[in-house]
Amino acid sequence: MSKKVIVVGAGFTGLQLARTLVAEGVHVVLVDRDPEKVQHARNALDCTVVESDGNSPETLSEAGIATADALVTLTDDDEMNMIVCSLVDADYPDVLKIARVRNYAYYLRTTATASRHADATASGERRPLFGVDHMLNPDVEAAAAITRAMSLGAVGNVIELGGGYGIVSLPVVAGGPFDGVPICRLSKMPGWHYLVAYVESDKTAVLPNGNTMPEAGDRVGVLVSLEDIPSLMLFMGRSAEEILRTVTVFGADRVGTLVVDHHVSSRRASVFSRIFGNSPREKTREMTIVDRDPHLCREAAERFSNVRVLCGDMTDADLVREESLDAVDLMVAASGNYESNLVMAAYLKSRGVKKTIALTASSDFDDVARKLGVDVAVPMRDTVVDCIVSHLRGDNVKSIHAVCNRFFEIVECEVSPSSRAAGKALSELVNDGEFLALLVQEKEGGRYSMPNGSTVIAPGARIVLVVKAGAGDEIQLFTGEA
Amino acid sequence: MVLPLLRIFSYVLALAGVSLLLPLVAAVRYGETRAAWSFAVPMAASIAVAVAITVVYRHIKAAPLSIRAAFVAVGGSWILLGFFGSLPLWFSGAIKGFTNCVFESISGFTTTGATVIFDVESLPRSINLWRCEMHWLGGMGVVALVVALVPLLGIGGMKLIQAETTGPEKGKLTARITNTAKVLWFIYMGFTAAQFALLLVCDMGCFDALCLSFSTLGTGGFSTRNLSVGAFENPAVEWITCAFMLLASVNFALYYRVFTGRVGGIWRDSELRAFAGIVFATTVCVVLIQLPGAKAFGETLRDSAFHVASIISSTGFMTDDYTVWRPAAQIILLALVLIGGCSGSTAGGIKVVRWTVLFKQLVNEFRRLVHPHGVFTLRLNAQPGRETIVPYIASFIFVYLLLVLVTMLFGALAGLAPFEALTGSFSMVGNVGPAFGELGPTAHYGNIPDFLKCWYCVVMIAGRLEIFTLLILIGTVFSFRRNSAGSRRYN
Repeated sequence: MSKKVIVVGAGFTGLQLARTLVAEGVHVVLVDRDPEKVQHARNALDCTVVESDGNSPETLSEAGIATADALVTLTDDDEMNMIVCSLVDADYPDVLKIARVRNYAYYLRTTATASRHADATASGERRPLFGVDHMLNPDVEAAAAITRAMSLGAVGNVIELGGGYGIVSLPVVAGGPFDGVPICRLSKMPGWHYLVAYVESDKTAVLPNGNTMPEAGDRVGVLVSLEDIPSLMLFMGRSAEEILRTVTVFGADRVGTLVVDHHVSSRRASVFSRIFGNSPREKTREMTIVDRDPHLCREAAERFSNVRVLCGDMTDADLVREESLDAVDLMVAASGNYESNLVMAAYLKSRGVKKTIALTASSDFDDVARKLGVDVAVPMRDTVVDCIVSHLRGDNVKSIHAVCNRFFEIVECEVSPSSRAAGKALSELVNDGEFLALLVQEKEGGRYSMPNGSTVIAPGARIVLVVKAGAGDEIQLFTGEA
Repeated sequence: MVLPLLRIFSYVLALAGVSLLLPLVAAVRYGETRAAWSFAVPMAASIAVAVAITVVYRHIKAAPLSIRAAFVAVGGSWILLGFFGSLPLWFSGAIKGFTNCVFESISGFTTTGATVIFDVESLPRSINLWRCEMHWLGGMGVVALVVALVPLLGIGGMKLIQAETTGPEKGKLTARITNTAKVLWFIYMGFTAAQFALLLVCDMGCFDALCLSFSTLGTGGFSTRNLSVGAFENPAVEWITCAFMLLASVNFALYYRVFTGRVGGIWRDSELRAFAGIVFATTVCVVLIQLPGAKAFGETLRDSAFHVASIISSTGFMTDDYTVWRPAAQIILLALVLIGGCSGSTAGGIKVVRWTVLFKQLVNEFRRLVHPHGVFTLRLNAQPGRETIVPYIASFIFVYLLLVLVTMLFGALAGLAPFEALTGSFSMVGNVGPAFGELGPTAHYGNIPDFLKCWYCVVMIAGRLEIFTLLILIGTVFSFRRNSAGSRRYN
């Protein structure tokens, strides 16, 4: 029996979520009131599409809410998203409800009051606020992704996994250590380990085996401990990672200010550690916000006392020269205009900025970003979809990240004692589908390590896999959920 | 407009009349018969007038005060008070000449503390007590006390208090304005009582202690001794007075916050930080300048701290004649005359908050020069976006300096030397009292020409009410005269 998910709102995010879920074999029902969107969805996707208002109980029961596992509301209207969840919660408390809430004030208030609200319910029935189990704020998720990339030095897209490991996506340069060397012959490094998680070329992507030979122009996903990223960079022939001391954020709207806020507040919180200085990366960050909109600039200037705020056009060469914006270490393009983010990041990269991060509409732009020389592209829509999907995958799946143009997924999940893989060595599972185990926890709550064939999968431990996107069977091998 | 004004004036007079009770008791107690009569008559008269006005107009419902009427009420009240306060001085024959009496009285109510009397120790004790009590009444504001005591003024009260208190921003501490006025007066009384008690502990006489406390909390400067606080030759008294002068020149709204348990945000107050910084820095400077002298360190520190506090709080007490100090130390004190205390305190001067805002504005202008595209905001008390206050403050300082210039010119016309004319005008507009040179703390204003005394009276009231109130009053009087033949515009 497959899962059933109702998605209200067939915008870009709704469609992409539906596509991802359909590929996994989930039964998806899309609901939207716009006939054009409905028609488009019908043509593009293999799922049920209902043309109706999402907020009427009749529509939802017609869509089969009674038998659904989850409801995701993604309309443009925050209030609608929350009300629909609330309506459904009244009748079907067991359905998992996820709502996209763009209004930051709602999001803040709700996350803050949710716990209090749950405690206050006298009947002992702990219902979340508005019946929404997970509230998603795209801006917050995007800002979190950017902040993660910044904290790792903007070395390329880094996917953080459990146990302090991460997967860094790196280009294979001609004459570099990966160029034309079979995976099994890659040099072993003293003191630190790495593992090639996937090899991606222009046309295709593969899970590597010992004979896979990356070529110049390909990209490799390298699993490495986050602490060892500087060593990896050195190994790749790049200079040791400089500290990103000066940061320019383009865009003073929600995402930009959230990114700045995170760094400013972490700086404020660590007065003690600043004096006795044990985090050199954080302590000397100098932030500048640039935006064209005077009102946004004013708000930013009022909000942040130690951040330089500039009002102007970043493509204005005079402004760039005047404020030496081309000499900063990191430029984060996080405005609401995704296309101009890419252009800005590429432009400043060409002017000499060391690292650039750009917020893009979706991972479809990853290639463009790479070709433009943008170091990290954070895809807004995929960040949201990833987040929703990880909520939908059930409790045992802890995180999920799409890589290689969504060809592969990196899945972190908990091994269920009832699953087939529990208690077996990895070599016993070779015939059970195509996957690559990247990290295995030795036991529940224990250390993570890179496994070999004889590693035994302990029940309750976590495992990190690379699988083809939508490969539900491989994941179920470990999670045991049907 | 006339009736509500009449009522307010009568309340203010009645209140001043009632406050004559204290010196009256003192006069009776010390057997000063003539002084006793000179207190009793104005007291009876003022109360009679107030009762009469209240009774005659009891059936007429007063219209709410217009904004202009509030300014006129406050300005007029202060002029009336000046004349009323001079009556006991005149009747008792303690001070010769009506002009001198009015000057002394206005100097009292405006907490200036400039005296025309050569030998204050020869005055009747009750007259000395009245001089100091005028400081105390004027410090927190008589109109504020009226608002606190007369609930009828409820709605117009806010406007009245705004016209009377100092500083660019005036808010209510409590939901009701009468409560705000009461709270401020209670805090004020509490501090007075505290200083009085501490001085008694230091073996000071009850009479001197009360006079000194009144004069200190009002940041006035009248003393019962010719040598001011120095006459007591008691270091403890000097330190206590120094501390209370500083306490009185801090915004009283902050004390309210402390007493209601919101201590946390106190240090975020930009003005308090600047004030503390200025006091500390100037004290250190004066000590360093004065130290290579004959006196011991402890004494130099005490004298320096005392005079810094005395000048920045616009009190004008002295323990030492600072006009014989080294010139650099004198110039520092002169700068403090211009800076003044905090807004919402009993101190005079331009007020620290105005300098703070202008300084922040200056910093922003510099940043704007370096970063033409930069967006900067002015933070006051950790609140962003306060740029709107800058034009108001700039225009205030402009008018203030204009008044100083005109006053200087009048001083020079009256035959004062340039330095005396300059510092005298600073001292009058800033309600400090003593100036420098020939008008120093050991001298007095008795010998200057009468017309200059009259002008100084106007300037002292203007300085106490922060100029705008008096300007509006003058403007109203003139336009009222011009229009009185035609329609009554201000009804």
